[in-house]
Amino acid sequence: MSETANATVVVDGVSKHYDLGGRVTALDDVSLTLSKGSYTAIMGPSGSGKSTLLNLVGGLDTPSAGRVVVDGRDLSSAGEDELAAVRGTDVGFVFQTFNLMPRLTAVENVALPLVFDGWDRDRRRERALSLLSDVGLGDRIDHLPTELSGGQRQRVAIARALSTEPALILADEPTGNVDTETGARILDVFDDLHAAGNTLLLVTHERHVAERAERVVHVEDGRVRSIEETPEGTD
Amino acid sequence: MDPAESVRMTVRSIRGHKLRSALTVVGVVIGIASVITFATFGASVETEIVGDIETTNAGNVYVFATASGDDDFDRVLQPVFTESDVNRLAATDGVRAALPRGIVRTQSIRHGNQTLARQQVTATRPASFTPSVLVEGRAFESGEDAVVVNEDMARSFDGNLSAGETVTLTTADGEERTLAVVGVVNGTRGELPVSDFARQPRVYVPIEPFYDAVVESPSAGVRQRAYPQVTLVADPRRIPETQSAVQAYLSEESDARSLSADDTDLVARSGSDFVEQISDVIERITRFVTGIAVIALVVGAIGIANVMLVSVTERTREIGIMKAVGARNRDVMQIFLVEAALLGAFGSLLGVPLGLVVGYAATRYAEVTFSLAPLWMGLAVAVGVLVGVLAGLYPAWRAARVDPIDALRHE
Repeated sequence: MSETANATVVVDGVSKHYDLGGRVTALDDVSLTLSKGSYTAIMGPSGSGKSTLLNLVGGLDTPSAGRVVVDGRDLSSAGEDELAAVRGTDVGFVFQTFNLMPRLTAVENVALPLVFDGWDRDRRRERALSLLSDVGLGDRIDHLPTELSGGQRQRVAIARALSTEPALILADEPTGNVDTETGARILDVFDDLHAAGNTLLLVTHERHVAERAERVVHVEDGRVRSIEETPEGTD
Repeated sequence: MDPAESVRMTVRSIRGHKLRSALTVVGVVIGIASVITFATFGASVETEIVGDIETTNAGNVYVFATASGDDDFDRVLQPVFTESDVNRLAATDGVRAALPRGIVRTQSIRHGNQTLARQQVTATRPASFTPSVLVEGRAFESGEDAVVVNEDMARSFDGNLSAGETVTLTTADGEERTLAVVGVVNGTRGELPVSDFARQPRVYVPIEPFYDAVVESPSAGVRQRAYPQVTLVADPRRIPETQSAVQAYLSEESDARSLSADDTDLVARSGSDFVEQISDVIERITRFVTGIAVIALVVGAIGIANVMLVSVTERTREIGIMKAVGARNRDVMQIFLVEAALLGAFGSLLGVPLGLVVGYAATRYAEVTFSLAPLWMGLAVAVGVLVGVLAGLYPAWRAARVDPIDALRHE
């Protein structure tokens, strides 16, 4: 317990198997601890299991063996409703493909997690507006996703991930669908979030993206190959 | 989740597929409208007919003979109710008056230069004409050489027959009798409660001296007048008791029993029996036809289910997003159920007025007074929503079970 006292995420001996007409092992006995306020990148080729690890930590999936604890909550034994609550309030997701609701405006997209968390309408809007202006989209609140550029969409998604003040922000290839310059600006937003004390876990296969984190966890064939402290993180 | 929010999201999604949603709603509209149309029309016809009977005949018990096992409308048969029977019936507890009726054969009726063929006139007692049915003049007295006519009869003559004038009645054997018209009525006490009955031209004469059908009364042992039908004006609060007392007398002691063939039933039927009989028939027809209309509603429901399933497939990715940001299974289910219920409710809201308009047109066409069936209307809206929810249950359940990881990968 002492080791995990200051940890936002504890992944302890986790394996994940899929039965796809034959057993496929996506993760094999992985252990990892994310301390509060840390910024970690997971790197690995496609199929290495890095997205599976992210899904387990985010409560989208449950491990076949081992334990995943997020913000003190053991997800391995959680029921469907509890997992939903974890996804809604304990973690915030940022996806490669943005995953905004197409028929909701920017402000409604940001407020969506608050709907499921039971906030009333006025408070939801107030919170969403303030988050949108934090990410520099205060003048785009009533735009639909189709009316926004890729970079703007990703910033809406980041604002949405922050709406419930989660203990952990998860990003899956957040720069994968935008140009280099926009990607760099999104990574700046992550740096700001880190500086503000948020705990971040980012999955990428690009070296220069991973290097923005404090440390890089290399995953291959479902196992943690090495953990590397980056110069970025040490200064 | 906040129900208002799920409605807002649903409205957004319905607007996103205007044509598809509109066509789905049309299915429900047709279903609800046909149910409302037939229910309203049935209720109107029933109210019209029942209203006719109830206003004039609520306190009457009709006594007549009818062939056994005859389920059709009772036909009046032989004159079997003797004077003794009439007196005994009049003395039954709860009976205020006994009004026998008979038929006198005639050939024609003449007024001024105009002669109208007339095969029969009705012989009855003065008590048949209460002040409420008299339009002008007075009732005839027993033994008076006078007639009372109804308004339709009065109108049959050019320049309208009115009280104080005379008519000449040619009897079956060719004898001409000139009689004073002492009163004009719009119906009588003691008519059989069939609405068209009152609207035919009628001539009434006093039993004495015109009616002469006689039989030997088995109980009195003398020849007496006998009638095919007797109406008892009864205390409206005691109809059932009166009815059974009368029925008991008829089947056990009456002259009519010994004078009738074995396959003849002697019946005492109240106005409300007639009302019930008629209501029953109309209701059965209405229910049957409305039941057919319900098929249209089922088709509408299948339309909703179909569209909802398409919607779930199409929005798999959205379901994944909602789940990723904290939606529980029941939140997802709620969103899809609300959508289905809204489609059903829109259908009902449009279907009810449409059904009423068509129902109104039908009543105008059939020349009956339009009356609403509020119960059916409320039911139709409830059924519309229910149909939507039921049709949406399976699609919503499918939506709730979508795996978020698969859904987020879904294009």
